[in-house]
Amino acid sequence: MSHLFNHNGAENTGYSQPAPLSSDAEPVVPKGLIRKASARWPRLSEPEMVRHYTWLSKRNFGIDTGFYPLGSCTMKHNPRVNEVIAQLPGIADIHPHQPEHHLQGLLSIFYEMQHMLEVCAGMDQVTLQPVAGAQGEFTAVRCIQEYFRLRGEDQRTKVIVPDSAHGTNPASAAMSGFEIVEIPSLEDGRMDLEALAAVADETTAAMMITNPNTLGLFEADIKAASEIVHQAGGQMYYDGANFNAILGITSPGLMGFDAVHFNLHKTFSQPHGGGGPGSGPIGVKAHLAPFLPGPLAARRVPTADELAQTVDEHWYHWEQPEHSIGKVQQWHGNAGAVIRCWAYYRRYGSGLKTMSEHAVLNANYLRHAIHREAKKAGVDHLFVDGAETDVAKHEFTLSMQPAKDALGVSAMDVAKGLLDRGYMAPTVYFPLVVPECMMIEPTETESKDTLDTFAEHFAQVLKTEPEALHEAPITTPVRRVDEVYAARNLCLRHPYDDA
Amino acid sequence: MVDQLPNRGRESEMLQEMGLQSMEDLFSDIPSDVRFKGALPLPGPQSEEEILHDARRLLGSNTAMGSRPSFLGAGLYRNYVPASVFQLVTRGEFLTAYTPYQPEVSQGMLQAMWEFQTLISELVGLPIANLSLYDGSTAAAEALTCAVRVHNRKASQPDTVYVSALTPPDKLSVMQNYCQGAEIDIRFIAHKEDGSLDLEALKAAAGSCGVYLEQPNPLGVLDEGLTTVKEIIGSNTALIVGVQPVSLGVVEAPGHYGADIVVGEGQPLGSPVTGGGPLYGIFACTKPYLRLMPGRIVGRSIDVDGKEAYCLTLSTREQHIRRHRATSNICTNETLIALMGAMHMALLGPDGLRDLAHRNMMACQKAKEVLSETPGVRVVHDAHHFNEFAIEVQGSAADCLAYLDSNGIIGGLDLGRWYEGTTNQILVTATDQTTLLEIEALSAQLAMWSSHSGVNA
Repeated sequence: MSHLFNHNGAENTGYSQPAPLSSDAEPVVPKGLIRKASARWPRLSEPEMVRHYTWLSKRNFGIDTGFYPLGSCTMKHNPRVNEVIAQLPGIADIHPHQPEHHLQGLLSIFYEMQHMLEVCAGMDQVTLQPVAGAQGEFTAVRCIQEYFRLRGEDQRTKVIVPDSAHGTNPASAAMSGFEIVEIPSLEDGRMDLEALAAVADETTAAMMITNPNTLGLFEADIKAASEIVHQAGGQMYYDGANFNAILGITSPGLMGFDAVHFNLHKTFSQPHGGGGPGSGPIGVKAHLAPFLPGPLAARRVPTADELAQTVDEHWYHWEQPEHSIGKVQQWHGNAGAVIRCWAYYRRYGSGLKTMSEHAVLNANYLRHAIHREAKKAGVDHLFVDGAETDVAKHEFTLSMQPAKDALGVSAMDVAKGLLDRGYMAPTVYFPLVVPECMMIEPTETESKDTLDTFAEHFAQVLKTEPEALHEAPITTPVRRVDEVYAARNLCLRHPYDDA
Repeated sequence: MVDQLPNRGRESEMLQEMGLQSMEDLFSDIPSDVRFKGALPLPGPQSEEEILHDARRLLGSNTAMGSRPSFLGAGLYRNYVPASVFQLVTRGEFLTAYTPYQPEVSQGMLQAMWEFQTLISELVGLPIANLSLYDGSTAAAEALTCAVRVHNRKASQPDTVYVSALTPPDKLSVMQNYCQGAEIDIRFIAHKEDGSLDLEALKAAAGSCGVYLEQPNPLGVLDEGLTTVKEIIGSNTALIVGVQPVSLGVVEAPGHYGADIVVGEGQPLGSPVTGGGPLYGIFACTKPYLRLMPGRIVGRSIDVDGKEAYCLTLSTREQHIRRHRATSNICTNETLIALMGAMHMALLGPDGLRDLAHRNMMACQKAKEVLSETPGVRVVHDAHHFNEFAIEVQGSAADCLAYLDSNGIIGGLDLGRWYEGTTNQILVTATDQTTLLEIEALSAQLAMWSSHSGVNA
């Protein structure tokens, strides 16, 4: 083990600094504010620091390490040129409050990204300010709230959410002050139009739904759902977590949605970074545009004075929407993430549809290969599809309930068995509507060979003795971690000696 | 795009094996009335080289702060991030991992975040820290809603919080958006002539759920009065202090003068300014807030062999478990930027942090000293400052800044953007990156401006 807090060289610091500006004078801190005891941080030289974090990195699994079929998370390859671009001083060393003529390049990229997302989503206006998917949801719900307030429809206090929705949907709506109405899914995992019609009324502000849904199924009735909600006077909100399945094929706009968020860290390859940063732009139809957080990137014909500083035939500037809800992040959102995703988008351009086609091809192929290999190995009776369907979209679910019943092997056991074979495990126990669920999303950046080999390994895991599987993983840096122990014996920081 | 799609050219082979004829068959479940007709109206694909070329051209047309004397800060601070931080943080095992839901293969990031929690906890003087929120503004906003959750039942002013009247409007706007859903009333506490908090006025906040103040305050003033705030507002009102983390190398940790929650913009430790994001929000608190706080937390545990191991803990507060009753909707946070922060902190050590704080403080003191002797310039607050201070100039701040800009200097923030009645004030920021030559250039140009505008007036 390498422990950061065990490093305590007498004088060590990891980098030396230049002398202060006036080395003769002492800094003046008000007497009562002088720090008495310094933070008990470790003392490391640069080589010690580099080795510590390199050691940690080797105990971490990323897409670069191996296949990462984590359903709902779209773990596609992160192109490296995007990282090079994000380090350029023209993004790394700019301040959001610099004047517009200092930021024409940034503004033009923001404008291009807004436009691209508008085209792909069938929306009229996009803002890039929200910094994560959940914040995008919150932002859009706030816009809908203010839209109804301005119309004097204050009685619209409820948001409808299917029971298979991501947890962020109800959490974001509740944060805005809405009451949550949860509707059950049908037996086959699809949306229940009758249940929706029964709850949609003059108190409905919005319905939040993702399509394809969390089972990886396209909701063919989506237009009918939009009509029901619109007839009741409510708004349709599209959770863009599963956007990777449909880019260039259909759009939230075509399905009748009024607002949508994008997870740039899923669909547009912003690296997940072990839990962020993300970027969660939202797009809306024209009637909601005046409520967006500002400022937005806009453009016009340049004046004579401006011509010398333009990057193309336009002058780019910030614009404040008329009834803006204000800000959800203090600056312009995660500009660095937007730049990376711009570089990613440029690689496909009008060919983004090919990306989605391959994501769906790979998901369906993997589903097929898993069934094929399981049959060969004689373990195909140990799981069933999470939902009956001819074709899945970018992800699919399996229920390990038969394995649980026959052998006492749970979805978690299978997940841990996969870790031992060098894979990241699929998402487990979500969505809740599938018992012993495994949710698998290969993404478009995995080769057929990788998918075939994974399918073989999946079958082999199911052939493993149940006792051995309960013991898995055994090859990982640590074995099963006791989460109950962690919660009962809270240790949230290095205890030093005062524990 | 071919370089991103390993199965280009193998489509029919794969389809055939599934018993399908064409790619179209994969989308047979999508009704034709919701289909795009034709291709997306976007330009065609580009190669990596072409993209890099365009990126260099477009981003190169932006004015990088480092290309000229720059005195713009106002919440984000130019800094030096050591090279090893960038080298290590782009290791694919960190960069391309998801949130550590499978702890057995995520020990690296989990331990790094547990160490981050410790570094922040020590820095701010509070026992608990989460592993980051989006930025300083959302951290402050989440602190307010957290304070209400904790104190509302006993508060004599329920659903009410107080914030410094100097809170920058963009940050305040974030607070208002986060607070409006719970119908929380945000009231203001005034500051005195010298920039310090009006402790008399503060008495009104006693019995509310929480008070949000910054140290240094938004105008750079170090306010000794904050050490007495907890006494005035009492134990049933949360004291929330927003910090510039580097300042804590020389300035007392708020946890040591009664803060219940400390938040802040983590950027100066570990991250470039990056156009205002991605950044990371610091959130630390005392024990009574633990179970109602927002964000992810790592705990140290053991594996089945009794070996030290780390995992996410206290997840029952979070949206994926508690759904609409969660303490926050946050899911994706800013882990990788927090990791950069941890690496920077690990490199600095306690002495390095003190040195870094000294350099920021001395640059600010030097700038203040020089500008206070510059004709036509008045330093607004007679106080101790960290990083920045307000000056009054001849004529309007906007015109003055435009003049400085035309002479190759980014002069600071027009305080007319923040407050009413301060259209002739500029917030001037100096950091460890500021040089004496730059300060002298600013002074010379301000003197020129004063003489010009004197002539014009």
